[in-house]
Amino acid sequence: MRILLDKFSKSFGSTKIIEDMDLEVGSGEMLALLGPSGCGKSTTLFAVCGIHRPTAGRILFGDRDVTHLPSQERNVGVVFQSYALYPHMTVEENIGFPLMVKRIASADIKKQVADIAALVHIGDLLGRRPAQLSGGQQQRVALARALIRRPDVLLLDEPLANLDAKLRLEMRSEIRRLQKETGITAILVTHDQVEAMSMCDRIAIMKSGEIVQIATPSEMYKDPRTSFVASFLGNPPISFLKGKVQQGAFVLGENGLRLPLAAVSGIPDGTPLSLGVRPEHFGTTAGIPVEGKVVFAETQGRENLYDVVLPDGSVLRSIQPVRDDVKPGDSVRWHLDSASTFVFAEDGRRL
Amino acid sequence: MRTSRALGLVMIAPAAVMIFLFFLMPVVLTAIFAMTNMSTATGISGGAWQVTQTAVNRLKAEMPELAGGIAEPRFVIDEEGLAALEALKLKAGFGTELRTSHMGEVFPSRREAERMIKALKDRPSTREVKQISDLFNRSVLNTRFETRDQLMASLKKLGFTLTPAEQETVAATTYTGWVWTTENFRIIRNSPDMAQIFLNTAFYVSVTLLLFNVSYALFLAITTHYMPASTASVFRAIWLLPRITPVVIYVLMWKWLTWDSGFISMFMGQFGYPPKNYLLDSANNAWFFVILINGFIGASMGMLVFSSAIKAIPQTQFHASEVDGASRWQQVRHIILPQLRWPILFVTCYQTLSLLASFNEILLSTRGGPGRATEVWSLAAYHTALNNYTGNLEYGLGAAMALVLVVVGIVLSLIYLRIFRYDTLISKPLIED
Ligand SMILES: Nc1ncnc2c1ncn2[C@@H]1O[C@H](COP(=O)(O)OP(=O)(O)OP(=O)(O)O)[C@@H](O)[C@H]1O
Ligand SMILES: [Mg+2]
Repeated sequence: MRILLDKFSKSFGSTKIIEDMDLEVGSGEMLALLGPSGCGKSTTLFAVCGIHRPTAGRILFGDRDVTHLPSQERNVGVVFQSYALYPHMTVEENIGFPLMVKRIASADIKKQVADIAALVHIGDLLGRRPAQLSGGQQQRVALARALIRRPDVLLLDEPLANLDAKLRLEMRSEIRRLQKETGITAILVTHDQVEAMSMCDRIAIMKSGEIVQIATPSEMYKDPRTSFVASFLGNPPISFLKGKVQQGAFVLGENGLRLPLAAVSGIPDGTPLSLGVRPEHFGTTAGIPVEGKVVFAETQGRENLYDVVLPDGSVLRSIQPVRDDVKPGDSVRWHLDSASTFVFAEDGRRL
Repeated sequence: MRTSRALGLVMIAPAAVMIFLFFLMPVVLTAIFAMTNMSTATGISGGAWQVTQTAVNRLKAEMPELAGGIAEPRFVIDEEGLAALEALKLKAGFGTELRTSHMGEVFPSRREAERMIKALKDRPSTREVKQISDLFNRSVLNTRFETRDQLMASLKKLGFTLTPAEQETVAATTYTGWVWTTENFRIIRNSPDMAQIFLNTAFYVSVTLLLFNVSYALFLAITTHYMPASTASVFRAIWLLPRITPVVIYVLMWKWLTWDSGFISMFMGQFGYPPKNYLLDSANNAWFFVILINGFIGASMGMLVFSSAIKAIPQTQFHASEVDGASRWQQVRHIILPQLRWPILFVTCYQTLSLLASFNEILLSTRGGPGRATEVWSLAAYHTALNNYTGNLEYGLGAAMALVLVVVGIVLSLIYLRIFRYDTLISKPLIED
């Protein structure tokens, strides 16, 4: 079922948190709401599930306007940031709660709970209470409780934040599999870009209550609209060089490195710019040579990560296949793939 | 480890002393008093032996003959009487003849003694017979003896020969001081008055507790939970007023309300009803107001406890249950109430004990009336031991009644703990020893 936010605004008292947000999530699509802490992700999610009433604007499920519908009637499943399991109920009662309040026969509930519990691999924990579960197990219970009544919309508020790295990987694919199998429309709130990129069909990047860009993960990676988006996606993150336009080229510092770029043609000389360089585009086999000094080296197993300080003091990050010949302190002369760099205006706009 | 244990003991020592002095000692003293028959009449120090009419009445059950004898006057011809006779300066022959032929004789009744005097050779006139007989009247009735032996000697002189067992009975019935006894508990068990007071108490405590201290308090806490914060706090403040008003003034306001010139009378007067004292005109009305007066005070405390307990439930649980489709009522039933088990237990326990033990509101409003309709156990104990209509304050019986209250309180608390499955409510300490 399609979700549409139309000029959605939300303020608490006099503080405006979100203003005129437009967002459409296609039927069966999984969308990531990605953004730094406090940017309004949970607030948006709470408005979709009906816990918060929008200050202005409409919310549509399919063609139905649910703006003024109480959450009880929206048929959404939510996995809360803190799971919000009921501490006095067993796992079985927790998962069965949405059915129980619908007065479904208890034999039916038992069967459905068993099915969904098997799906999220907690079939053997049904008798326990939430306090007796690990974070990962609690998270699965919350997921099972959100899924059991076959909601039209699944909302996940940082569901993986409390898990260890291995479990997180596992649950990532698990949730994605469940979402695809059930064909449910889902919104995943996260501030982890890897999670967003690996799990979702599209990503919406938020910054202080606004959506900066919506795109598929690879589009967004290759074509960020602002420096904020570029800096948010990618691990290890992109590095920025500050410079000016000089005769159709980007010049770093005073008479420093000079990069002729198509993107800067037609921009008046002296305009300050910043250049975004992803680590994989520095240290390539071809491109413009750049000299600097390695100050930091780290191996990540398959690849090595280097920080290189240029003569003017700015830092470029480079990721390369493992090699043993470079140590911190070494001077290097590596190639920069200038065609793959992004040029941003001072206000962060991509040029 | 060992030093920390010892330190712990040292730290709690002052508290332990306090607990002993102010919590345990009163109970122990109550138990001790409960095993005596102390009252205003017996005093709290020792007593004497006195053949009062009440003592004779009591003696009648076991030794009817002796009781009858003691109660009657007795006449003994003895030196004491003869000396008094001489002082009267009647004819000397009376004294001489009584000494020589009648010395030591005992006459069980006045008639017999007077017949003997009349037969004296010097022929006393009827007036003289009366005068003389009076001098030899030796009744023990209403005589006070400082020791048991004096009483026994005097009885012997009067011609009562008693076996040691009989002596024991007589001594016990005539003793005016207090003695150790379990009589108080027999009285409590057998007296129909006590049974009525017990029922009154059960009714008062259970109705006030269920209707107000728990149910109404829960109702207030839950409704204020769903109100906007500012409205809720105004509402809570209003319900706190009965608790923070001094009880004398609070009850006085109720009296103003219910007096025959009070608000209710005035209001009902508009519809042609004659004014009356609504508080005391019937037992039902008295109960109605007694329960309201106490209920309004009790409800505020429950409301505070329950409100803060509801506040402690994480907000997300309410959000989650709403999203899960639960209605308000289902939220209350499945999310709030189960998590209020401990506060409900606490309030039930605490309020049961305070309702059982406190009687100030009843004392100030109905004084247990009309008649003894609203007399509850603690008030009855107070009346028995400290403020009696008859003036004979029965400390021992009052203490026994108080002891019954303590035992009932403990038993009820234990039952509550079982009902609410206390063991499942307390979690294991996080820091292991
Ligand atoms: N009930 C509220 N009253 C006032 N301000 C609120 C309330 N709830 C949230 N806010 C504010 O709204 C902003 C957005 O909050 P929100 O919870 O949506 O952040 P978020 O993006 O989910 O962050 P996080 O990643 O840390 O969960 C924050 O600045 C927060 O302080
Ligand atoms: Mg959040």
